[in-house]
Amino acid sequence: MIFGYATAARKRRDALAMWVVRAMAGLTLATMALVLIYVAVNGLSAVSWDFLSQFPRDGLTKGGIWPAVFGTLGLALGSMCVSIPLGFGAAIYLAEYAKPGPLVTGIRLGVANLAGVPSVVFGLFGLSLFVALFGFGRSLLSGCLTLGLLTLPTVVAAAEESLRQTPASFREAALALGANRWQAIRQVILPAALPGMLTGAILALGRAAGETAPIIFTAATAFSPALPDTVFAEVMALPTHIYNLAANGSRIAETRPQQFGTSLVLLALVLGLSLAATIIRAKLRRGRKW
Amino acid sequence: MVEPVIAAREVDFWYGQFQALRGVSLDIMDDEVTAMIGPSGCGKSTFLKLLNRMNDFVPGARLAGEILLRGQSIYGPEADPVDIRRRVGMVFQRPNPFPKSIYDNICYGPRLVGIRKAAELDVVAEKALRAAALWDEVKDLLGKSAMELSGGQQQRVCIARALALEPDILLMDEPTSALDPIATAKVEDWIREAGMTIVIVTHNMQQAARISDRTAFFYMGELAEYGPTMELFTSPKETRTENYITGRFG
Repeated sequence: MIFGYATAARKRRDALAMWVVRAMAGLTLATMALVLIYVAVNGLSAVSWDFLSQFPRDGLTKGGIWPAVFGTLGLALGSMCVSIPLGFGAAIYLAEYAKPGPLVTGIRLGVANLAGVPSVVFGLFGLSLFVALFGFGRSLLSGCLTLGLLTLPTVVAAAEESLRQTPASFREAALALGANRWQAIRQVILPAALPGMLTGAILALGRAAGETAPIIFTAATAFSPALPDTVFAEVMALPTHIYNLAANGSRIAETRPQQFGTSLVLLALVLGLSLAATIIRAKLRRGRKW
Repeated sequence: MVEPVIAAREVDFWYGQFQALRGVSLDIMDDEVTAMIGPSGCGKSTFLKLLNRMNDFVPGARLAGEILLRGQSIYGPEADPVDIRRRVGMVFQRPNPFPKSIYDNICYGPRLVGIRKAAELDVVAEKALRAAALWDEVKDLLGKSAMELSGGQQQRVCIARALALEPDILLMDEPTSALDPIATAKVEDWIREAGMTIVIVTHNMQQAARISDRTAFFYMGELAEYGPTMELFTSPKETRTENYITGRFG
């Protein structure tokens, strides 16, 4: 019964392989859960309404993190003002207008490589271009521009993919009804592709909120007594605040609860944005049939 | 001599190096249904898409010869493709309504030509839906997404959408190939009773025989035979036609 033997061996190998990949998936999940639980357990006691709404006091050892929350929201949303128009525009060009050729290959290669550039390099780039050359100084504006460029590849890639997934038959139908190309894009293709494009943008928003290195060079300050009143002001931000509390201060042990509390807030913000993107995507998938 | 709606004169057409049409000349007459049949790759769909310049978007496409729409060249320097597409409507192989409401689908073309007033659009929409024999089925569902309709209803929404521009002529590219038999019958009934100039490409010879006044048989990029449907199916002049319609190839 040579066949019987082979079948049994194959079944054993199959089962083994399944358990190995299962264990790996479990390990991944466990690691993530561990990080979340660790941060939550240590940080939850520090988080309160006062913590979220007040300024830091006494050399960052007391008080809240409101200016850092505000700064991070400002940086993240501001960076979207840069990457969404640029990224959506580039994606529309690549998906709808560009004819295959060396130029388009070059653009696509550039975008892909941009995604692989370490964020600290973006920080230095922002420092030399926006802070120094353009004279914007270390400011909210410089930070938004730098983070906007950093998130550009994510935005372009997601938007182009979403545009390409829109059925060609929509475009054909619009053109056959006497629409010109731009009308077909604006009235039919963009509305259909927008959910996917926005999902990419929200993920990029989460990335921008969590980045540290780029804003150290271009925007962040360790302490500000007031919220910024212009885009040319320095801002506090959650990631740099964590860094300053945990690694840069003179009273690191004292501020342990604040460190975890701030980490928890940042984590919640980033995960919340990812979750929002996932929910939007799931909702919009359900409504469509192409 | 009645002037044809469309007159093609010695049309050659290339996709890059590949010649898809060779010396095609034919007249399409007012208020008639003209069917185009032939094996896959024979050029029938290519010819259809030339009539409303939908091949403009194909890279490497090239045309020689002349196509006239009521005496005016479709490809001449004066011709405006957008204007031509408004006068020559098209219905595609698969129903392709926009992911919008039925009403917004029908009003897409009229809005493009600048009709904005709700009252006017309502009139246009009702007229188009009545013309597509769909009004009674959907008059209470106009706000519903067209994507939620059945395939057959979607295709008739697409017909109504094309009719809303009151085109001179309607092109249909295998409009029933994605539909079930009952939905197919409804579309065929509509074509027979529409009383307008229709050019339909079909894979289905019985369909051509059922609904068309004239039939054009394309073979390897040439117009092999063209004539009244009855004659072409009962006493074809060409052996190629006879072989095809008797099912010897295709």
